[in-house]
Amino acid sequence: MSPLALIGPPSATFTPSEVSYLSILPMLIVAGAALIGVLVEAFAPRAARFTAQFAVAMLGLLAAFAVIAMRAPAMIGVTLSGAVVVDGPALVFQGMVLLMGAAGLALMAERFGGRGPDAFTPSGSSVPGSQAEGLAERLGTTTEVFPLTMFALLGMMLFPASGDLLTMFVALEVLSMPLYVLTALARRRRLLSQEAALKYFLLGSFSSAFFLFGAALLYGYAGSLNLGEIGRAVGTVSGRGGLLAAGALLLFVGLLFKVGAVPFHSWTPDVYQGAPTPVTGFMAACTKVAAFGALLRLVYVGLAGSRWDWELVLWIVAGLTMVVGSVLSVSQTDIKRLLAYSSVAHAGFILVGLLAIDRAGIAAVTFYLASYGFATIAAFGIVLLVRARGSEATHISQWAGLGRRAPVLAAGMGLLLMGFAGIPLTSGFTAKFAVFAAAVAHAGAAGVVLTVIGVLSSAVTAYVYFRIVVLMFFSEPGGAPVDVLRPSAGGATAIGVGLLTTVVLGVFPAPLLALAASASQFLW
Amino acid sequence: MIVLLVAHLVAALIAPVLVARLGRVAFAWLALAPAAAAGWAAIRTPEVLAGAAPTELLTWVPSIGLELAFRLDVLSWLLTLVAGAIGALVLVYCAAYFEEDEPGLGRFAACLVGFAGAMLGLVTSDDLLVLYLFWEATTVLSYLLIGHRPQSRSSRSAATQALVVTTFGGLAMLGGLIVVGQRVGTYRLSEVVATFAAAPIAPGDTLLVTAVVLVLLGAVSKSALVPFHFWLPAAMAAPTPVSAYLHAAAMVKAGIYLVARLAPAFADVPAWRWCVLVLGGATMLLGAYRSLRQHDLKLLLAYGTVSQLGFLVVLTGTGTPDAALAGVALLLAHAMFKACLFLVVGVMDHATSTRDLRELNGLRASMPVLAVTAAVAAASMAGLPPTLGFVAKEAALAAYARADAADLATLAVLVVGSMLTFAYSARFVWGAFWDGPARNAEPTHVHAPGAVLVGVPAVLAAASLLAPLAAGPIDTALLGYAGVFGEPHEHLALWHGLTPALGLSVLTWLVGSALFAGRAGLERAQDRVPEVPAAEDVYRRIMRGLDRVSLEVTGASQRGSLPLTLGAILVVFVALPGGVLVATAPWGELSLRWADSAAQVGVAIVTVIAAVAAVRARRRFRAIYLVGVTGYASAMIFLLFGAPDLALTQVLVETVSVVLFILVLRRLPGRFDDEGSRGARAMRVGFGVAVGAVAAALAVVVPQARTAAPASDGMAELAVDYGGGENIVNVILVDIRAWDTMGELSVVLAAATGVASLVFLHRDNVARADRRVREMRARRRRALGRGHRPADGTDGTGGRTWLVGHEVHGSGRHSTMFEVVTRMIFHVVMTWSLFLLFAGHNNPGGGFAAGLVAGLALVVRYLAGGRVELRSAMPVAPRTLLGLGLFLSAGNALASMIASGDPLQTWIFDVPVPLIGKVHVVTSLAFDVGVYLVVIGLMLDVLRSLGSSLDRQIEDEEHRRAPSAPQPVGGRP
Repeated sequence: MSPLALIGPPSATFTPSEVSYLSILPMLIVAGAALIGVLVEAFAPRAARFTAQFAVAMLGLLAAFAVIAMRAPAMIGVTLSGAVVVDGPALVFQGMVLLMGAAGLALMAERFGGRGPDAFTPSGSSVPGSQAEGLAERLGTTTEVFPLTMFALLGMMLFPASGDLLTMFVALEVLSMPLYVLTALARRRRLLSQEAALKYFLLGSFSSAFFLFGAALLYGYAGSLNLGEIGRAVGTVSGRGGLLAAGALLLFVGLLFKVGAVPFHSWTPDVYQGAPTPVTGFMAACTKVAAFGALLRLVYVGLAGSRWDWELVLWIVAGLTMVVGSVLSVSQTDIKRLLAYSSVAHAGFILVGLLAIDRAGIAAVTFYLASYGFATIAAFGIVLLVRARGSEATHISQWAGLGRRAPVLAAGMGLLLMGFAGIPLTSGFTAKFAVFAAAVAHAGAAGVVLTVIGVLSSAVTAYVYFRIVVLMFFSEPGGAPVDVLRPSAGGATAIGVGLLTTVVLGVFPAPLLALAASASQFLW
Repeated sequence: MIVLLVAHLVAALIAPVLVARLGRVAFAWLALAPAAAAGWAAIRTPEVLAGAAPTELLTWVPSIGLELAFRLDVLSWLLTLVAGAIGALVLVYCAAYFEEDEPGLGRFAACLVGFAGAMLGLVTSDDLLVLYLFWEATTVLSYLLIGHRPQSRSSRSAATQALVVTTFGGLAMLGGLIVVGQRVGTYRLSEVVATFAAAPIAPGDTLLVTAVVLVLLGAVSKSALVPFHFWLPAAMAAPTPVSAYLHAAAMVKAGIYLVARLAPAFADVPAWRWCVLVLGGATMLLGAYRSLRQHDLKLLLAYGTVSQLGFLVVLTGTGTPDAALAGVALLLAHAMFKACLFLVVGVMDHATSTRDLRELNGLRASMPVLAVTAAVAAASMAGLPPTLGFVAKEAALAAYARADAADLATLAVLVVGSMLTFAYSARFVWGAFWDGPARNAEPTHVHAPGAVLVGVPAVLAAASLLAPLAAGPIDTALLGYAGVFGEPHEHLALWHGLTPALGLSVLTWLVGSALFAGRAGLERAQDRVPEVPAAEDVYRRIMRGLDRVSLEVTGASQRGSLPLTLGAILVVFVALPGGVLVATAPWGELSLRWADSAAQVGVAIVTVIAAVAAVRARRRFRAIYLVGVTGYASAMIFLLFGAPDLALTQVLVETVSVVLFILVLRRLPGRFDDEGSRGARAMRVGFGVAVGAVAAALAVVVPQARTAAPASDGMAELAVDYGGGENIVNVILVDIRAWDTMGELSVVLAAATGVASLVFLHRDNVARADRRVREMRARRRRALGRGHRPADGTDGTGGRTWLVGHEVHGSGRHSTMFEVVTRMIFHVVMTWSLFLLFAGHNNPGGGFAAGLVAGLALVVRYLAGGRVELRSAMPVAPRTLLGLGLFLSAGNALASMIASGDPLQTWIFDVPVPLIGKVHVVTSLAFDVGVYLVVIGLMLDVLRSLGSSLDRQIEDEEHRRAPSAPQPVGGRP
């Protein structure tokens, strides 16, 4: 098609793109729920807003998931002129994002049966400590977190289903913007929260800009933004290798930032600590799922043919991510920061699986994300419940002796930590095994080296997790008394699902592995 | 086997209930589980010995090769018997050992039974991953068992230490197992061993050799070999039955089992051989040496265990039939005598409340059965006939007596180790039952132990003594394992004749006796030997080092500093795409023209100077102006390239940004506050230059790669034919790419609303602002009604004052000159903006530029007269302008559709107008007007929020700071 035809006479050659509404129905539902949320926020009476918002958001997520669960085979296809590709991996990732989003949403709505406030400030833009804040405080909670979360989820669903780099960029921004805002909305320690949001925003914008730059370079290389076209161009276009390699690396900057890989990880501890805890859980799980989904598509569809150009860099990134994430988690004294570094290390493990560049790698990454995502939401859910003087007791020393005060909760946290450490019979073990096995089988010597680095890093993280377990069960409680709040049904479900998946995916991983393997074929 | 495992699991699950109901007797019932395992293995004996290894298979996770495959060959059979029988005995012993009121006994029982089950699974599983699973299960359960008394600090740290060390080894092993499994293509243990036994690993196969070493690392850490030996003595904080079971029969044997299991496959790999011989030998010597100076009987045994484990690893790992046979025989003997000795120590501890051999005295008389039991077990440990220990040791010494130098060196180590073993065995019996060093003290007070406590060790001792009678059958049975290496030269027997091995045995007894006799001197000598850095210290140092590295790296890289984080990202940008640029070196093909005219060079020089000066500036305002200069300079470049429209827009945008910058900077100190050190600044400059260079290089190189025709080809013609305008930039905006513009307008609208909602947080503020706008409009209407000349001149907009703004301006801030100029140019500028709007279709201009010009006019009004003046100049709410603008643009699209065209299609009319002639009208003008209004609305919004609102904040603050001094309002000096 000549450029003239592209912009040609308005009506003559313009053909509207075919839209398979079924394929994008889940996204449409989520988008619709988000928009209804905005209207509710604007027009519903203040008293009814919370219930209405929660119901709209939750129903939207469940309806979208139901569509995927029931109609998945019929949904598969390329639609919107190749901008959206709904294939096996995309559907699996969308399903995961929806379920984890629902769990995160349940935690965001946690109000301890009306006995305590939720985790969000009623007035995000007021100056902390100002009169305006006090005024807003009296008016009660705000509920804009729900539509914001839904918009973020929309971006997260589109991200792994993007057929071209521009759609991917749009999805990246759609998922990021609400997260920046959500980060700033912590009820307690608001300056920390706002600082975190600002950092996240500035650095996120920077890396998005790199992504866009990379997309432009790849367009220059392949003459198309479509990932499939880029993949085909890799074999046929010659003489512009510099553009390809530079563009690919810049794209990786944008995506690796989102997954929190070294050296783009330094925002994670600050943001995880500053953000309201339910948002942290949501972000840790869903962003990671979505970003790895996009990374998988980018690597497997668009760039697999040029792996020699960038593989070494990603190997180094994966190795560094595991080592730095695990070593830095050793000295953390704040449980949220510790979980942040642990998420960095996990990103490294997942990268190892991704670098297998094989369908086994896709399945392994999918399984890992499923097991890690639910568990991490539950972990942050538990953090939400442990309180000292009304605010969250995030300092690790405050968790000493928790096993005696709240044995069930501490046991739950212990189980999750064992899962993170990769102890057999938890989902973490199967997940680690799957990624390492994929890397060893398909990534040659580098896969073996990364696996060795991986298991040694696992040993370091295991040390960290065991220390917390020891602290909870075998130490005397510290000075200040720590309360453990009783979660409401929604929050308890979110935590329960995390615990359940940790055990069930550890003992009976076969169904999910089979699903992940059967849905590991990318379309383009 | 699976049924047995389930039985263990069930037993573990009901153990707490059982203990709560029955008390400590429950242990005896729980003993049924391991007893059943041993019994089952015993029943299967004929089948196993016939070589038909019974297997069971349950598919679990086939996709990752995780199958519940179990197989009972001779080695598994032996370990099942040992672990099961000793497990049952230990549980029976527990029933008498613990007090009824021992806290946490239920959990303890559950863990112990669970551990027995894990051990059973470990030795029978035929799948590498299932083996690893049980391996980690033993780690975790042993952790819980060692930390049984969590109140004691030593118990806690010992448990953690054991956990960390063995988990580390376990994970390393997992890495090795994955490599091995992927290489062979199956995780079935028997197949893996068969594969490598048939086709040994090539020495050059580094990956596989690494994997083997990793697997060995797991075994070494589990079996407490040097350099991981320290966790075992520390783990003696556990209750004694746990020590007897875990540290004699079960857990530490897991490592030996793995070595024995894999030896047929890997014994030929040099790395394996060296690791096994060197680490095993060193462990044997070190453990025995340390054992000689322990006073705590349990520690003495613990170091003895370490030593014996080294011995076992050497034997089982060597890979010759004789050594293998001796290895499994010793494994059997060791399980019996070491469990027995631990249990004996438990009885003594129970009866006398001490384990210190310096305090124990005369127990030989008060506990004769126990003394005999201990003596027999110790004899087995020391290798004295007629015990099983002797048989095994004979076989071991014989195994190395007939070969090369390496074997002879190993033999020497084994002999020395055996001498030391003899010495500490003697020391144990002597210290515990004969007179201790406190020779003249009273015999230790004893309260008599029960029959079970004495009986269980006695059974084990008897077994040690009776087993050699069945040396023949045992030999036949064990050959089922050792036979895979070939036919052994010697068989297990009490008497081989006067062999060199017997001579060596006698030698060990003699030297061992001498060592025991000279124990006082030896202890003194040991004290004089400078302490070698203990491995435990190394462990602590590593852990501390890890903490320290972590802390320091965190401190250095994770200060939460935004510049640092950004710096990391920028470094990557410079290194990677920059590196690609350097690597591909595309400059060769570049054809660059440096300059077209001298003017371009001049502008470039100005830009460079301004940029450098901006970096050097220490005042914010100066820096902003200088950055502005670079912007104006690029506008000049555009102009020189013949793009007046672009230049115009650039100038306007630059001006607006400078103004906005300044409005915000009012709230910040005049100077940059972080001067930073010279080095830091130099680094920042370096970063900046590097990033700029890479970006510039990319900008130069990338367009050179163009092969496709530019998208703008043909647009010039299309602009005239379909857009009806000659200013292509404007036509692109309002016609060709009108959809984009529409999207951008919506974004601008959303952004403006966002800014406004941040500043006007509450309905009250919005209402107040609206009220002010209404008042202003009413005032103007009044003023107009009076014909521009209010009589009193106080409430008007014109008249005696040039601008109304001065009324609220501080006296020091306003300038009449500025007000006069503003008054004169405002309308001119507004007219010019209208001109730009209407002329834009064919000439430079357009809605965007026109809107910016109008916005600048408002800025001037605001600067001259403050926020009241701004309201007076444009007494409408920004949202009205924004909404109207978007409505016009969208309406244009709709109207076109209603007229049966495409959305946003341009319709061209030439309307004859009297006097003027034909006026060329294009419908996209309406669209442009929409753009114009949105831009003005945005400018107004920004001015109100960044300007007026900040003004009020500043005034409020000044007011608060000086409440006594009244604000000068109104009056001119």
